[in-house]
Amino acid sequence: MAGVLIRMKLAVLRHSIAGPKATWMLTGGLVGLAIAAGTIAVATVDAAPRTVADLLAVTFAIWAFGWVLGPAFGGDPVLRAEQFALEPVSRTRLALGLLAAAFVGVTTAVTLVAFAALVVFAARFGAVPVIVSIPALVLQLTLVVLLSRLAARFFGALARSRVGAAVTAVITAVMLVLSQSGWVVFIALDAVLETGFSHGFSVAVRVLPSSWGVVAVEASTRHDWLWTVGPLVALAGLVVLLVLLWARALGPQRLTRSVVRGSAKDQAALWAHCSPVTGVLVKELRTWLRDPQRVQAIVVAPAFAILSGVLPLLFGSTAFLPFVGAITALMGATSSANLYGQDGTALWLTLLNPGTEADDVRGRQQAWLVVYAPLSVVLTIVGTALHGDLAPWAIAATTAVIGAGGGLFVLTSVDQLVPGPDPHRNKNSPLDHGDVTGPAFVTLFLVLAAATPAIGTVIAGSVLHQPLLTWAGGLVGLLTGVLCYQLFGLLAIKHLAARGPELLYLMRAGKEYEAALSAETAVLKAMPRHRRGLLWTSFFIGCLALFPQGLVPMGMKISGDIARVWFLALYLPDGLQWPVIALFLLIGLAAFGLSGWVYLVESRRLKAKLERRAEERARYADVLPVG
Amino acid sequence: MLPQVDGGTAAFQLLGVHKVFGEYTAVDHADLTVAPGSFYGLVGPNGAGKTTALSMAVGLLRPDGGESRVFGVDVWASPLEARKLMGVLPDGLALPERLTGRELLSYLGQLRGLDAPTVAGRADELLDVMELSGDSERTLVVDYSTGMRKKIGLATALLHGPRLLVLDEPFEAVDPVSAATIKQILNRFVAGGGSVLLSSHVMALVEQLCDTVAVMAKGRVVAEGPLDAVRGSASLEDTFVELVGAHLGGGEGLSWLAS
Repeated sequence: MAGVLIRMKLAVLRHSIAGPKATWMLTGGLVGLAIAAGTIAVATVDAAPRTVADLLAVTFAIWAFGWVLGPAFGGDPVLRAEQFALEPVSRTRLALGLLAAAFVGVTTAVTLVAFAALVVFAARFGAVPVIVSIPALVLQLTLVVLLSRLAARFFGALARSRVGAAVTAVITAVMLVLSQSGWVVFIALDAVLETGFSHGFSVAVRVLPSSWGVVAVEASTRHDWLWTVGPLVALAGLVVLLVLLWARALGPQRLTRSVVRGSAKDQAALWAHCSPVTGVLVKELRTWLRDPQRVQAIVVAPAFAILSGVLPLLFGSTAFLPFVGAITALMGATSSANLYGQDGTALWLTLLNPGTEADDVRGRQQAWLVVYAPLSVVLTIVGTALHGDLAPWAIAATTAVIGAGGGLFVLTSVDQLVPGPDPHRNKNSPLDHGDVTGPAFVTLFLVLAAATPAIGTVIAGSVLHQPLLTWAGGLVGLLTGVLCYQLFGLLAIKHLAARGPELLYLMRAGKEYEAALSAETAVLKAMPRHRRGLLWTSFFIGCLALFPQGLVPMGMKISGDIARVWFLALYLPDGLQWPVIALFLLIGLAAFGLSGWVYLVESRRLKAKLERRAEERARYADVLPVG
Repeated sequence: MLPQVDGGTAAFQLLGVHKVFGEYTAVDHADLTVAPGSFYGLVGPNGAGKTTALSMAVGLLRPDGGESRVFGVDVWASPLEARKLMGVLPDGLALPERLTGRELLSYLGQLRGLDAPTVAGRADELLDVMELSGDSERTLVVDYSTGMRKKIGLATALLHGPRLLVLDEPFEAVDPVSAATIKQILNRFVAGGGSVLLSSHVMALVEQLCDTVAVMAKGRVVAEGPLDAVRGSASLEDTFVELVGAHLGGGEGLSWLAS
């Protein structure tokens, strides 16, 4: 069973290795390896063993959260239990087979490298801890793979109803905040390495099953065999339990989908006498309220924002509270970044009514504003009141982000559309969507970039001690917001009107339309969009890594004239500064290499294609009389 | 064999429409002419290019070359005017899924700039005829069955009172009761002076409904004309198999099956 499933998965992966998926796999794999290398580096940090163990435990917990969250963003796994529902195989066997197949993949390989940090850590204390670390490593990897699959199953079942979707949203927000607040630990690394963590934190982090391997290895260095064997046995027991749970969950779906009802006859035509934009607005608002996927997006934004604001309270800081509203709008834009993709091929109705592209885009923007703007404003007011200060900052950030978000989400969702199954095909498996990580990140960064003029004004005001300038930030935010909303919306409209049929084709066929080529076609234009995206992204990363994060801090180190500003390496303890600089230089060079390679490969491919075309044409010319 | 209709008065014309996907030619310089008041069937095996041809015909897919005209109006040059004249039912495409049938019709009427009372009246009639009111009044389109989806699709195509209907596989996966309803509506539409262009691979159905047929195979229109002229003395199915040059499988091998 396991062998068959593994071969099957490899076959699927082999066939999907061409196209955007391969680009993403490659990019994701490289980024993952860099993070995995970072994890191993944690194991080699020069500090008290207990502190290192704490750091490792935190890092492993972040990895585990990542695995649990993964399916919510990356879509469904390659092999699904439903595909084997009619095969005469027992559920436990199927579960074991699927588990084995789940180990085959880029993510698992990357995680294995990261978890090897445990072995590296153990190697500091001799042979026995290393022997302990190996089963711990295997169990830990199995644990995260299983957790991920179970979470996908659980969230998938929950997300079919609106209440379930809201619950999923809150859980997702909690895990997102916890996993990304891990950086707090690393910001304070200097202090942590000297003084260690507090006892409470130490214990708390060790309770998590992802840390039990660390606990076992640590105990073996003290020759405390009870605490060596105990956690390993517990981990094994947990793995068995999860396999059994999973096998049970593979059966027929238990949670039925709750059916949402529409409005009654006399309510259906409400607002029907208004303009077409209002028609789209009403349609969109009905969708926001009735579609579990949209309900999840509505809940996850404020939940994430509030948690992000509340978490620093643990350290006695209320500094995040005024920005809770802005973060809500930011997350709202991020989670709406594939709105057109979510609606699938329904785009044909817009195409068949030429001239309504503008109504469609503006209506969606207005609906987005209705959903997120009041929420964002209220949260900003409450947060600022609780903090008691920072009002100009909060106003500038909120106005800028609402406007930019409302303009950018719709532009990204037209421009970076990720095709997925049509909504009526995945109504029972809402997690079965395209991988929306790309457009989400693009929106995130663009909205942040669009908010910099407003925030910059406030910063300038407070640096120069000009209260008037500080308050002017809000005005700048309002202006840039309105401008972004109008301008990016207009771009989306133009894009939709110009490329409508191509977008519909993309959603229908699940792949880009291959345009006809000519000799004048520039390589950059002819290459598939995802390749172009990869080229520019790696070029951008290359610029960032090589110059400001690599060469500049290197120059400072050599000259001894150090200004930390935003040079990451210079914030780290002395021993880590050179390795980090070297790492950035390496990443920079690799990124430039990657973009150069993409360009070369694509220009060669274009040339070959054109030659083949010319050959074909010559052949036809021989046969057919001209004219 | 081509029907002689003046280009200006034909209900619908496809002139040398051509589409290539990468290396694959989906539709190869296809010509079709639908006379006013005719019930026109486009048949062909799976992958013959029917959906691609119809998508280009109505403006959902940009052709590499050729023209598409509705009552003489170019679909790609004057889309607004052309689309007022036709109603379209594509196969298997999504709709605004979280609306009820009535909400959907009311929304589309609003989008097309029809006045609200007219839309309300038409929606009422359409939903009653299609049996989508009453019990299913508050059901969202996402929860509709395949037959119901086809029927609401047809209702959206009819809502603005078009003179030509372009329907891609209107009977695909539809139960006999819904199919009978759809057939009756289409016959009434043609009797009232409308023209219908539909694609199907159910020969019996095309024989029963259509007065004119075209056969597509491998992206080309291999025959077009009045039903009786195309099928001659044989059945449409036999003529079709002969025209598309198919080899009938299923005769050899499989000796182990139910032996």
